Amino acid sequence: MDQQILNAIFIGSIYALFAVGYTLVFGVLDILNLAHSAVFMLGAAVTYSLVVNHGQPFWIACILGVAASALMGLVIEHVCLRPLRRRRAPPIAALISTIGLALIIVAAIEQGQPGSFFAWLWVDGANSVAFPAGTFPNPIWHVGDMTLEASKVAIIPISIALMLVLGYVIRYTQVGRGLRAVAENPRAAQLMGIDVDRMISLTLVISSALGGLAGILFGVALGDISPYIGRDNVEVRGLAVIVLGGMGSIPGAVIGGYLLGMIEVFALVVLGSNARGGVAFAALFLMLVLRPQGLFGAQLRERI
Amino acid sequence: MDFFIQLFTDPVTFWNSHTLLIAQIGINSIIASSMFIVLYSGQLSLAAPGFMAIGAYTSVLMDIDWHTPLALNIAAGVVLAGLAGVLVGLPVLRLRGVFLAIATIGFVEALRLGVILNLPITGEGLGLKNPTADPLGGVNMVLASLLVVLFLMWRLTKGRLGAAWAAIRQDELAALSQGINVSRYKMIAFVLSAVLAGFAGGLEAHLNFFVDPGDQQYGVTRAVQILTFAVLGGSGHFVGPVVGAMVVTTLPWIFQQAHDYINVVTGAFLIAVIVFRPQGIVGRGGLAIIRPAWWPHRNRVRAPSPG
Amino acid sequence: MLLRLDKIQRHFGGVHAVDGVSLEVEQGSIHGLIGPNGAGKTTLVNVITGYVPFQSGHAWLQSDKLTGLPAHRIAALGISRTFQNIRLFKDLTAMENVLVGMHTRRRDDTLAQLATLPVFRRDERSRLDDARALMETVGLAAKDIGGRPAGTLPYGDQRRLEIARALALRPRLLILDEPAAGMNPSEKQGMRELIERLNDDGLTVLLIDHDMRLVMGVCKRVAVLDFGRKIAEGTPDEVSTDASVIKAYLGTGGDKAVASAPGASAVGEAEPPIEAAADARPAAEPQTAILEVEDLTVSYGAVTAVRGASLRVAAGEVVALIGANGAGKSTILNTLSGLIRPDSGTARFDRLDLTTAKPSAIVRHGLVQVPEGREILARQTVLENLELATWGRRDGADTGQAHAGRASIKAQIEAVMKRFPILSERRALSAGTLSGGEQQMLAIARGLLAKPRLLLLDEPSLGLAPQMVDEVFAAIEEIHREGTTILLVEQNALRALEIADRAYVLETGQIKLSGSGDDLLHNPAVRRAYLGG
Repeated sequence: MDQQILNAIFIGSIYALFAVGYTLVFGVLDILNLAHSAVFMLGAAVTYSLVVNHGQPFWIACILGVAASALMGLVIEHVCLRPLRRRRAPPIAALISTIGLALIIVAAIEQGQPGSFFAWLWVDGANSVAFPAGTFPNPIWHVGDMTLEASKVAIIPISIALMLVLGYVIRYTQVGRGLRAVAENPRAAQLMGIDVDRMISLTLVISSALGGLAGILFGVALGDISPYIGRDNVEVRGLAVIVLGGMGSIPGAVIGGYLLGMIEVFALVVLGSNARGGVAFAALFLMLVLRPQGLFGAQLRERI
Repeated sequence: MDFFIQLFTDPVTFWNSHTLLIAQIGINSIIASSMFIVLYSGQLSLAAPGFMAIGAYTSVLMDIDWHTPLALNIAAGVVLAGLAGVLVGLPVLRLRGVFLAIATIGFVEALRLGVILNLPITGEGLGLKNPTADPLGGVNMVLASLLVVLFLMWRLTKGRLGAAWAAIRQDELAALSQGINVSRYKMIAFVLSAVLAGFAGGLEAHLNFFVDPGDQQYGVTRAVQILTFAVLGGSGHFVGPVVGAMVVTTLPWIFQQAHDYINVVTGAFLIAVIVFRPQGIVGRGGLAIIRPAWWPHRNRVRAPSPG
Repeated sequence: MLLRLDKIQRHFGGVHAVDGVSLEVEQGSIHGLIGPNGAGKTTLVNVITGYVPFQSGHAWLQSDKLTGLPAHRIAALGISRTFQNIRLFKDLTAMENVLVGMHTRRRDDTLAQLATLPVFRRDERSRLDDARALMETVGLAAKDIGGRPAGTLPYGDQRRLEIARALALRPRLLILDEPAAGMNPSEKQGMRELIERLNDDGLTVLLIDHDMRLVMGVCKRVAVLDFGRKIAEGTPDEVSTDASVIKAYLGTGGDKAVASAPGASAVGEAEPPIEAAADARPAAEPQTAILEVEDLTVSYGAVTAVRGASLRVAAGEVVALIGANGAGKSTILNTLSGLIRPDSGTARFDRLDLTTAKPSAIVRHGLVQVPEGREILARQTVLENLELATWGRRDGADTGQAHAGRASIKAQIEAVMKRFPILSERRALSAGTLSGGEQQMLAIARGLLAKPRLLLLDEPSLGLAPQMVDEVFAAIEEIHREGTTILLVEQNALRALEIADRAYVLETGQIKLSGSGDDLLHNPAVRRAYLGG
């Protein structure tokens, strides 16, 4: 039981980290970046590939993996989002263009076979792989009847530290104020001299870096890296988290992440492993029906 | 290119060698029409795979357990899907845009992961075997159904219902001011869409020897694929999503090399369409030659309050 | 009595948008509802038509009770409306818009459609004929525009189309919400005639507007709202000479008291467009200007909001841009700030080409706008709003300071707060909790912190109580005295002309008149149109 709770905290941290990026983009731009789960996967895949196929030291690979994810954030902005903003397209359009990019990213990895076009990126095709033992230090401790792997335990301080840093930046720095200004009123922000385009690029970069890092942590701790880890683990769960926590609210995303982790473990223990998947989405559905703004989101009201 | 050559010079052989493809195009076209109805009324619902699953499983289970005739099985699937449509549609009525999309995805995954993969009766993740499937003979039924469905779509959009839907999609508040009961019409669209999806699901199950509860059949991946039909083809005209379905389903057969990279191509298409021609291939006024963005045609401009 | 309202109340949070309003509209009459911006007129209409739930009070349409009914049922009972911001079905054609209006009168033909009975052809044809007739009634040529998407029509046609759609419902009561906003005097005259024609045919009309001239011209009785309350009701004559009405509209104008409300003297008459009076001195435009606008034309899609406008502002001047709602004033300011790109023409600020520069670059160059409606960041504190205002100056390159140090910025913020002491008091509160006037002060303070060389003020007095207006204008004069150049856009022509060195008069997108502030203040045409004689 305690082991399960611990697992809930680990996985909840990953959900939270992932969701923070998701909700940041929604808060600033009012759109759902559905390529976020692909970036999650990309972070893990690139890091793995750098270590196993290109012989890079683990820590360097991690940094490069995060960098690659951040770069993908720029791609999302310039390919999927900015052209739509220029054409004054409705927010739904961004939903679709990011879906398109996600398809491309996942397919690129999926088709990564030795000798193929994408071999430099990935060679394991649709398979699930794990970092070879010894890639990074991973001592195991036994406390009571719980087994603690360092790789899993490390997730918690890393995630929390990142979320605190992000929270600080948003609340207390000039850049954070600028982001909040753009989130609240892009027009007023522009008139204040804020370069809205650059703020948006920054948002996507931060969000994607966080997403990619979440993916790396996932890959490291759970030993599962494949083109589908985004889709299977966080794509829809990420939605559940931000809905639960309130779309656009960073504290909401954090709490929502842990909440979902807890709900899933609870379902696992009480209802058996099979119900686990469905419970998250039932919770999502219920929250949207009963309280669409989530726990911490702003009230949604339409102006006549 | 051989694909097209054969299509036009030797249709009979084409038919025989591509029966499965044709059947799949037919099914996808029917599902695309289900998507058309909700999009036409302004609702971004991605619930179709869920209703398809209900239609499919009901139909197959009735066949396996009670050996009832196919028509009855599919009809039962349709009815259950419709009921589910009411149950899901009512609570989500006041959700708009992204929120509705997310809620419907929630429904789809909750159904798949929570129910289908867990009930022993549905095979618990291993799927169901469907011994009476008829992949080749089923084609005729599918195509006949498609014609009926298209006729339905055509007449619906011409009538008072279709006009109300078009108004609701544009501006719900303005529609209310003209006496349109927006909630009622949105429900009608939602349930009708569920019914069609259930029907398509039942038909599709009949064409396969195996009902697979995986993500590609009844999960988010399928929902995205169906959305692609509608976006590519255009949801302003009832023919649009069908055209989209035809194009996307046939693409891997036309370009063999594209087969592996089909998702890359689809993804690129989605981005290109939504940026440069958001109204889709068919657009609103009917089939139009694909025009470049700078062509001077009637623009969709918003006239804000001046001053 | 066709429409009876009894003590309607509606509040949002702590704000009483509608505070106990009672009203009666006589069958077959045109009843006016006027009041300054923010008086609660549209909220009242939204309550009556069911868009916003009733909180207390009742409403009846003859014997039908409206209280508590959903919007579509109220419409079906026979009340149709147009919207302040035009809510046409933009992608549907003009004909389709009108046809949708017939929804309640059209039998449900879903099942029959599936059988495509020929009955439908006949039905459809008669509906098309009806729709065409309705369009003709409002003065639109169905032949020419019937097949065009409603969003591409010229502005005046869109307004008329919305009326046609509303008429398709065959309403007992037609509510028009600012139907003539953005129209020039001759278009307004056309709208006036249309309303009278419809009324002659027996239609009861409730006309809402804040343009007194229009309302006085057509209405039999007029009710005046201010801050959610009915402050006067009666015939146009009675209302236009009512002291409380005049006060509500004008506030107190410095030392130049005005005898009546704007436009009141034009009851029943069409106003000719502003012509330059023969003896007016020609506009003495400065030779060296820091702002030069030449032949600017700006449109939104099919609507040309500004046409061939030219103006100049020299350093140290206060220049006013006056004109009616919808004349294009804000469009010009937004073009100067780089938020909209013009179709043609030039706009130069110092050496910067405003038509191509990025908005953030324009601000850094020293052209700062305090936008209409204040647009402060309600969720951030007063202090945070002010700190953000120094954003563009962090890199300091254009203002000649290498790195505007944190200390110096803090000092400047303190200085500004000294000038507006209320901001100092409330520095830690979120900006959304400030009153309208205080928010305006915050917006101006923010504008000042950006160290503007040219300050654009868009409707600074909008929606403010008279004494706040005094304070705001006092602040503007102080800023001017310290040497900041100001381009001021105002509906409150009186105050604007009082403090302006020079002014331009904008009407339906064109500069019709220009001259010194004093000259225009005494120009008879200007007085008639904007100052109440």
